[in-house]
Amino acid sequence: MLNMKINTKGRFTFPGGTHPPQSKDLTAESKIQPVPVGKQVAVMLSQHIGAVCQPLVRQGNMVQAGQKIGDCDAFVCAPVHSPITGKVKEIALRSHAVLGRSLAIVIDAYAYNPTKRPCPGFKDDLDENNYSAEQICNAVRQAGIVGMGGAGFPTRVKIEPNPRLPKETLIINGCECEPYITSDYRIMLEWTNQIIAGTKLARKASGCSKVFIGIEDNKPEAIEVMNTALKTHANNDDIKVVPVRTKYPQGGERQLIKAILKKDVPTGGIPPMIGVVALNVATVAAIAEAVVFDSPLTHRVVTVTGEAIANPGNFYVPIGTSVEELIEFCGGVTQKSAKVILGGPMMGIAIADLKTPITKTTNAVTVLTKKQIGRAKFARRQTPCIRCGRCLEVCPENLNPTKIAHAVKNNLLDVAENYYISGCMECGCCSYVCPANIELTGYIKTGKIFLAEQKKKKPE
Amino acid sequence: MLKNITVSCAPHISQPLSTRRVMVDVIIGLVPAIVAAGYYFRIYALILIPTCVISAVATEWLCNLIRKKPNPLESLGDFSAVVTGIILALSLPPGLPIWTAVIGSAFAIAVGKMVFGGLGANIFNPAMVGRAFLTACFGVLMTTWTVPATIDTTMPKIAADNKVHARTQATPLAWSKQAIKTKKGAHAVNAQFKSTFTGEIGGCLGETSALALFIGGLYLIVKRTINPHIPLAVLISTVVFANIGSMINPNAYIRPMSHLCSGGMLLCVFFIATDPVTAPLTIKGMWIFGIGVGTITMLIRIVGEYPEGVMYAILLMNAVTPLIDRFCKLVPAGGEPNV
Ligand code: SF4
Ligand code: SF4
Repeated sequence: MLNMKINTKGRFTFPGGTHPPQSKDLTAESKIQPVPVGKQVAVMLSQHIGAVCQPLVRQGNMVQAGQKIGDCDAFVCAPVHSPITGKVKEIALRSHAVLGRSLAIVIDAYAYNPTKRPCPGFKDDLDENNYSAEQICNAVRQAGIVGMGGAGFPTRVKIEPNPRLPKETLIINGCECEPYITSDYRIMLEWTNQIIAGTKLARKASGCSKVFIGIEDNKPEAIEVMNTALKTHANNDDIKVVPVRTKYPQGGERQLIKAILKKDVPTGGIPPMIGVVALNVATVAAIAEAVVFDSPLTHRVVTVTGEAIANPGNFYVPIGTSVEELIEFCGGVTQKSAKVILGGPMMGIAIADLKTPITKTTNAVTVLTKKQIGRAKFARRQTPCIRCGRCLEVCPENLNPTKIAHAVKNNLLDVAENYYISGCMECGCCSYVCPANIELTGYIKTGKIFLAEQKKKKPE
Repeated sequence: MLKNITVSCAPHISQPLSTRRVMVDVIIGLVPAIVAAGYYFRIYALILIPTCVISAVATEWLCNLIRKKPNPLESLGDFSAVVTGIILALSLPPGLPIWTAVIGSAFAIAVGKMVFGGLGANIFNPAMVGRAFLTACFGVLMTTWTVPATIDTTMPKIAADNKVHARTQATPLAWSKQAIKTKKGAHAVNAQFKSTFTGEIGGCLGETSALALFIGGLYLIVKRTINPHIPLAVLISTVVFANIGSMINPNAYIRPMSHLCSGGMLLCVFFIATDPVTAPLTIKGMWIFGIGVGTITMLIRIVGEYPEGVMYAILLMNAVTPLIDRFCKLVPAGGEPNV
């Protein structure tokens, strides 16, 4: 049993999905490098789902690296910290990938600011029983940890036991199904012990009895490294590495839960409804650091990649660094015109302002070339839907994207709702495959915004 | 540093697939049938297919002009009119006069497609609309079958009771109808299975060679241009019904394989029933649609008056496709939201 060859072939998956080209080779071999502090950072006051933080500092105040600079009393909220030592220049609006313009604390760095390196101090000896569940939850809350895979839901809310929704299974998400991005992959290879330590702490805090680490089978090294590391750790009998089939969007939490547990999260519901907590590998690594070293979430690993980047790689970046600075650090771009995406090419958000700061949820900066842009949907002529059914086939949520998108297009929001527009996870598969070049996902997103506005106007 | 930054909605990459590519694939899938038509009917095929294609494309262009489209040539680029033209040509009798074919193609595109608003909006398969129109208007011309050029016309014809006619010959399905009426002779039709399979027999231009259609259909399925649900549903329901018939009275009803390989069945299975625009969207809907097509075809062939029923079956099922789509509404992966 012990010497059995580790199986890295993933059998588990979900129905639907598609296979965009991976393009991960650009950065897969690039080690996580610390990025020195720049002249200035802009720490967004809203980097998570939930209430916006109130600033705790004022213009002209001096802040220390790691000092809490924004917080609020709401339950669903996560404080923000300064990654550098410096002086608050102003509290001003900055571009935010999702929210448009949003308040940020702009800090000018002092001359002497050591570059923070990734946490080295994890071996295989962490005993999570030294910490109580409450302690862990508190540390997670104080460190301002949010889901680092994309959504940014405050982690404390996720892992804290809730008597109404008891948790049984903890799923650690190491799929990283988005093309180009390799930050989670590098974390798994380089911070293996830290991830396992964080997993154990999260298990302790949430009271889960089963733990699965889901990794796509296009990363056999990660699967092996995790498995080997697990063997040396104590008290890990219930932690299992599950190779899952490589398919986009395997890393969506609903899809991963479906693949591993064969259970569907209710439409419009959340995983705790079926007793599951899903955390990203980067998040559990942050949990370990927060609990053991009391260090807040001020840095994260960002993959800077894309064919238009001179030296792509994985970087340990102070949160609040502007995209421009980060790109500059990677040797700049090789083309004049390009597309800058926060995140990967399937779900990432194209930004117009290069001063946009990196937030806790930015796992990658992808810069696409002009040629790639020309091949994308919006650049081509949209032709009528030929009802080919490809979008239905790939939709991981089993929706009818063409029906919803056309309903939105014709301003029939009730029809869109009737076809479960709210169930869409915005994965982009439908747009990706459509032969008629229809931006289905775009229409659906727009429809959701319209619906939200409509609801706001006439409360029931 | 960066100057022109493009901003758009996610996803930022897409599959290199276009409507034109889909249509070109269908055309490639039709190539074996076209070649078979050329081999068996020679000059007829050479005239009929280009005639239909050209008049179909020209009609679409004219309709675009009438509709005052800013660029009337634009919609021709997706090649859907070409596909309609080829399929219509393949489902016509080889000896059809050119003017009839032109009228048929023009009707197919103008009434079958453009009045609904062009590609994607039509309810009925345009080629079948054209063919139905021709059948209704020129019944005799539409049932005069030319003998393939490869058959030596001086030889006696395959079925013993067929009075040799210099240039035309009845189709296997017409014999089968005869057999049903007289309650004998189905074996003679079954015996022709080899010629119906290769196509060396009287019939519509592209419908005679089961082999060629099968190769083309397989190509489409392997290329994933069409998915196999509708073909399977039609094939299975046809075989079931034909089996029932031939079990009841093997003298009157021909065998399932003969049914499959004769008439427009395979052309329909792979190229017409699978026309995405007029078929249901969901997999469940596709099965209902396919079973409907197979069943109606067999009812017409076995019980009804006409020897061939594929065209009507398709048109009837096209008409109920919106209903099927409504009936087969998908349930989201996580079940009905409880709000
Ligand atoms: S993939 Fe595009 S063309 Fe096909 S059914 Fe969906 S929207 Fe229509
Ligand atoms: S409808 Fe939504 S969930 Fe379905 S494929 Fe499109 S973007 Fe993804």
